[in-house]
Amino acid sequence: MQIDNRCVKRNKLLDRIFSWLFLAMAVLSASFIVVIILFVFIKGISPFLPGYEYGQVDLLAFLTGTVYRQDQGVYGVGFIVINTLIASFLALLLSFPISVLTALFIAKIAPKHLATGMQSVVELLASVPSVVYGVFAAGVITKIVDALATSFGYVTYGGSSLLAVILLLAIMIFPTLTSMSITAIRAVSPDIEQASLALGATKTQTNFKVVLTAAKSGIFAGAILGLGRAYGEATAVAMVAGNKLFGPTFNPFDITRTLTSTMLVGLKETTGLDYDIRFSVGLVLIVVIFVSNAILNAVKKRIGNQV
Amino acid sequence: MELCFDVKNLNLWYGEKQALTNINMAIESNAVTAFIGPSGCGKSTFLRCLDRMNDLIEGCRISGAIIHQGIDIFSKAQDIVDLRTKVGMVFQKPNPFPMSVYDNIAYGPRCQGLKDRKKLDEIVINSLKGVALYDEVKDRLHDSALGLSGGQQQRLCIARAIAMSPEVILMDEPTSALDPISTNKIEDLILELKKDYTIVIVTHNMQQAARISDYTAFFLLGEVVEMDKTDVIFNTPHDKRTENYITGRFG
Repeated sequence: MQIDNRCVKRNKLLDRIFSWLFLAMAVLSASFIVVIILFVFIKGISPFLPGYEYGQVDLLAFLTGTVYRQDQGVYGVGFIVINTLIASFLALLLSFPISVLTALFIAKIAPKHLATGMQSVVELLASVPSVVYGVFAAGVITKIVDALATSFGYVTYGGSSLLAVILLLAIMIFPTLTSMSITAIRAVSPDIEQASLALGATKTQTNFKVVLTAAKSGIFAGAILGLGRAYGEATAVAMVAGNKLFGPTFNPFDITRTLTSTMLVGLKETTGLDYDIRFSVGLVLIVVIFVSNAILNAVKKRIGNQV
Repeated sequence: MELCFDVKNLNLWYGEKQALTNINMAIESNAVTAFIGPSGCGKSTFLRCLDRMNDLIEGCRISGAIIHQGIDIFSKAQDIVDLRTKVGMVFQKPNPFPMSVYDNIAYGPRCQGLKDRKKLDEIVINSLKGVALYDEVKDRLHDSALGLSGGQQQRLCIARAIAMSPEVILMDEPTSALDPISTNKIEDLILELKKDYTIVIVTHNMQQAARISDYTAFFLLGEVVEMDKTDVIFNTPHDKRTENYITGRFG
């Protein structure tokens, strides 16, 4: 065959142009993250710097504080960090077994048509906007929590409480964790399942001992994503959290305050330090997520290596 | 001569398609029986009938009987877990669980409720010695089985089957994914295991069948064309089709 030299040249040039184009796109999207974090960092760090226009805030007092009162100009987020961690971890703890067992049912046990139907429902749940979860929580979960509190002899603020936040977040994590678990379980090779059955293991033994063991790395990745969602959910959480001024909150029927709800509530009706400090809270949230992800990824690596 | 499996008029369908037709076969205890035949002839399907692994396949229907220890394995009287603990299986591709070497072998006994650490240790060590793998892995019993070589993994899978002290070991082309040296080791192992177990092996490699088996069955298009002592099949086959296949004229 005759090779057209001009065509070869043009193809080489196109290759170069496209590789530059892809690089440009990658840099562009990466720079969004950098710009966002940089912006939040600069805005968030400013109240702690000398010469801040509304009066410098003590960084240590801010990070370790157990009171957050706009009216007195006292801003401490230490207890809010703890509140956020408690609510997110308990929500994950509650959601985890339900999600994994649902995923196992959909991926391995349910008849085909039922599995397809249930999976669409789970995917649908993942696409419901958080504000819709929020109104559901405000209208239904708070009522249930209130009734529960009454039966224990507690009085709630109309049901807004730590427990309501946990239940809400557990529901919101469920679709993410379930879909990730389904994917992880489906990826398990049928070879090892057959090996297990051929050794005289029952289906249940096979599912729990072999399938879940082989899928645990993927399931754990789902848990990390779910936890990220719990940390970051603002709208719905703010609708049922209440606005506790001090803490941390350990009583499930007491109102609480998370980093996200602190940032969100009243953002548009305020100025000055109370406005700027929300960026500092955002910075704290980013750090919390980074640290927690780093720890969980290290744990995941160890679990993955254990096999 | 004692019979391990007595197969009577076995037919098998995948949906509408008939995969096995009227199989009658006697498989002897403590001997190696090899199934040979071209791809798609039904030899693996038939092997999987012997421990009812075809139950897992949707749309699979079976008629006829396989008598094992006086019971038809397809009848209600046969408990499937019980059958599979007595009839072990080794697959084409090595398929160790993503667990440690130790846990792989202890898996079967543990599923039957054995918890005694000493007993388990004993089973694991004896099974590994039984497949001549112990010396190679004794220092990494608690490392992942996935770190072993392909040949080691396949011997581990055989050890895993032996750990259940089965009566029969079914092997579905156990060396087709292995290099010649590993294949050699497994063949030696099969000859060794013959003393204690009944072995039924599917193989694509006719030299392998000739080397290790006592009996050979030739499958073609879902039927058993001929079954006899291995030297008879390879030297003086009665059926023209068998002769054509083993002399390499087709298949």
